[in-house]
Amino acid sequence: MQAQLFQSAPINTSLRLDPRTKLLMMFILSVIMINGDIRGKAVYIRLVLAVIPFILLLFSGRIKASLFYAALYAAVWFAEAFLVYTTSGAANILIVMLAGMVGRFIPCAVMGYYLMTTTRVSEFVAAMEQIHMPRAIIIPLSVMFRFFPTIAEESRAINDAMRMRGIGINSLSKNPVALFEYRLIPLLMSIVKIGGELSAAALTRGLGGPVKRTNICKIGFGVWDFCMAAVMIAALAAYVLIQRGTL
Amino acid sequence: MITLSNVSFSYEQGEQEGCLRDVSLTIQAGEVILLCGESGCGKTTLTRLINGLIPHYYEDGKEISQLPLYETAKLVGSVFQNPRSQFFNVDTTSELAFGAENLGYPVTEIEQRVAQTISEFQIEPLMERNIFRLSGGEKQKIACASVAVCTPPVFVLDEPTSNLDAAAIDEIRRLIGIWKSQGKTVVVAEHRLHFLRDLADRAVYMRQGRIERIFSVQELKALSQPQLEQMGLRPLWLENLTINRDPVHGTGGSLDLPRLFFSHDHRETPTLDVKDLNVPAGAVIAVIGHNGAGKSTFARCLCGLEKRAKGALQFHASVMNAKQRLKNCYMVMQDVNHQLFTESVLDEVLLSMAEKDETKAEKILESLDLSHLKTLHPMSLSGGQKQRVAIAAAIASEREIIILDEPTSGLDLRHMREVAQNLRRLAKMGKTLFVITHDPELILSCCTHLIQFENGKVVLNEALDARGAEKMLHYFLDAGKKRAEYTEETI
Amino acid sequence: MDNKLNAKDLINVGLFTAIYFVLFFVAGMIGYIPFFMLLLPFLLPLITGIPFMLFLTKVKKFGMVTIMGIIISLLMFATGHGWPVLVTGIGCALIADLIFKSGEYKSWKKTVIGFCVFSGWCIGAMLPMWIMRDAYFEQMRAGYGNEYTDTLMGLMTNWVFPILIVLLIIGGIIGANIGRASLKKHFQRAGIV
Repeated sequence: MQAQLFQSAPINTSLRLDPRTKLLMMFILSVIMINGDIRGKAVYIRLVLAVIPFILLLFSGRIKASLFYAALYAAVWFAEAFLVYTTSGAANILIVMLAGMVGRFIPCAVMGYYLMTTTRVSEFVAAMEQIHMPRAIIIPLSVMFRFFPTIAEESRAINDAMRMRGIGINSLSKNPVALFEYRLIPLLMSIVKIGGELSAAALTRGLGGPVKRTNICKIGFGVWDFCMAAVMIAALAAYVLIQRGTL
Repeated sequence: MITLSNVSFSYEQGEQEGCLRDVSLTIQAGEVILLCGESGCGKTTLTRLINGLIPHYYEDGKEISQLPLYETAKLVGSVFQNPRSQFFNVDTTSELAFGAENLGYPVTEIEQRVAQTISEFQIEPLMERNIFRLSGGEKQKIACASVAVCTPPVFVLDEPTSNLDAAAIDEIRRLIGIWKSQGKTVVVAEHRLHFLRDLADRAVYMRQGRIERIFSVQELKALSQPQLEQMGLRPLWLENLTINRDPVHGTGGSLDLPRLFFSHDHRETPTLDVKDLNVPAGAVIAVIGHNGAGKSTFARCLCGLEKRAKGALQFHASVMNAKQRLKNCYMVMQDVNHQLFTESVLDEVLLSMAEKDETKAEKILESLDLSHLKTLHPMSLSGGQKQRVAIAAAIASEREIIILDEPTSGLDLRHMREVAQNLRRLAKMGKTLFVITHDPELILSCCTHLIQFENGKVVLNEALDARGAEKMLHYFLDAGKKRAEYTEETI
Repeated sequence: MDNKLNAKDLINVGLFTAIYFVLFFVAGMIGYIPFFMLLLPFLLPLITGIPFMLFLTKVKKFGMVTIMGIIISLLMFATGHGWPVLVTGIGCALIADLIFKSGEYKSWKKTVIGFCVFSGWCIGAMLPMWIMRDAYFEQMRAGYGNEYTDTLMGLMTNWVFPILIVLLIIGGIIGANIGRASLKKHFQRAGIV
């Protein structure tokens, strides 16, 4: 597997969303889910929202992951609706804590997984430019995405070298600090060196000039974006009304 | 037109390497200029002057030293040595557009420019790809294409072929040819001269920060091999190379690989399938073949880094599986930075010893001319010194089989010869060496045996005598063209 | 000196953020074991000490540390760690940056303090546990009555929070010192800083 956040090659999906929509959905989802109401009408809003990452995963062809998520969430739902009231003692506390944690974080984590696996780096950067994120954020952000795979490559090579020289968990179990040092120091040295060369190359290609950058990556809102945004905003509105007691 | 008049320059730390002394040079528009000379002669510094990284020069009457870098970017396109460190994006299409985006060109214009560059350079198959999955040669092609999108009048290339194989070098030659035909000014700093001899208009020979001589292309081609060597330059004609070493006698016995099989998870690299490979023990074995032919996979499997590789190595009456090979083989990596861990050269050697023996370590350091550096941090050394430290660690580990992955990439004649000398020294100790290389000169100066890979299989395995040398040179002369035809067919 | 961040500064921010984030993930892996999750504020500064101290040698201008914090929070948010991390991430980084700046990016004492503060962003990733706790127990009280709820609340008491802060400070001090030691031992001798 390629160690990177976001994708580098085009993605085939029947349900294409703009990265901005995904971020909005992420935000609303995290606000409502983390509060995690288990009583009252808000429960139904949580249920509706929990279904959304499932649909998104399903449509982007990650069927296995979507079914796994559905099963997990169903279990949590079952636990919160029944088990909490019928068990007692340590088992009860365990169930309450586990269900509480999983129920709150898993939908967000799955949404995060969806965001990462269906968005290209260039799309994400374009979205950041569209929402007028300042350049001082966008440049380091793109550099970071570019460096994740580099870090993976470099640390793989260092790992090989360590294995070949017989420096491993066995020989250094007495001295874990040295093991950490051997892994990290050459990695940092390489990365700093590559960073220096990258800076030079980027500067000769006009990065950092005063002109406004353009971006050829095409992003835009479609029908699905409006549908999803509508559902999310409606859910948020309903949630707020419920919290205030008006609904 | 580019004019440099009486330029002197030195780097901050007062280093002698790479400074310029009173350099004057005029380059006409549309010329292809080859900058040559030993490492540290100031070639790279000169390229940095032209591309504005070091400000101090003139073009179109505008004084570039006063132009900020993003303005220079419109005038000069730069390609650097390391294919891995000069791209900014993770996918090829964004990378091509990157420069033009920075200059703020309108989107439709950028798309048009990108499309034109793609068709000129014939790189459609590389589009919409993850750059991290490309080979070094492909990355370098993308680097050339992405500076071409901005259509600057001047291109500056700093050792663009250091890390490339023969086929990829041929591709770079083709791209420079396209620029030449478009009337662009091209300045190339290079150690490898042969691929430029029919492209360059003039060659600037530098020494110790000065321009020693400027050759016309006729004068350059007239230089004999001994003259070139005298100047510390690599050959202009690979055809003229001859075997250049003392006969080395093997230790007797052989290394046998009845079978070595390894299949990758992803399909891009071919399955390695070596059958009945015998090579003499104690030989210096050159491993050649195109990028992606399986040389690196072979090396990784041979020294046991790929656990899933099937097959055993028979050597000196012992049969070694992957795990045992990992303890008996040593690889000196192409990027030696990855395998230096400690805080001093001496510690680095001691780290390799099962029983720490400082006197022995000092002896090894002395044999490699490293004694005076023993207290220094390995990372503070030059590339060649680092490589020697890695070799010292290999000797200290007392392993019998040593694999070197492209030990001379990007080296000038003098440093290449140093490497060759070190390899001969290892051979004298009775080690068996596998040298993965794209450098025919290195092979002729120290290797005694030759194996060639193609599509994961060994297609040639013979002693490197006069006949073997001829076959080897034939491979390097043909490699470029064959591969180019091959890729066009597959498209 | 030009105080505006140039492209080179921004590239440095980007690559050190990448390393920082990767190491955070290493620490976070351990954090998925529930008990160890409480150790995250200790482990994070411990592990990230070396790259952060190296990063600070490249920082001479205000803003670089803040940007690092902003990017970390954005990423944490985008990977589903909840919104509170946006607040702590940006807040801690900004305060840390101000502390570093007040020492002109040289004072060792302020470096250590700033590093502890900066590492405090990770509390934000754990904050939902506290936010949700109160809301959760309130509902529970309505469902089960006081006695049961109080027992449960006793297990997740408020004193955990100050413990996290203490862990954070200890981890920060050790991490910063490891970082400084390895700068001396390796990076200065190698001529990188």
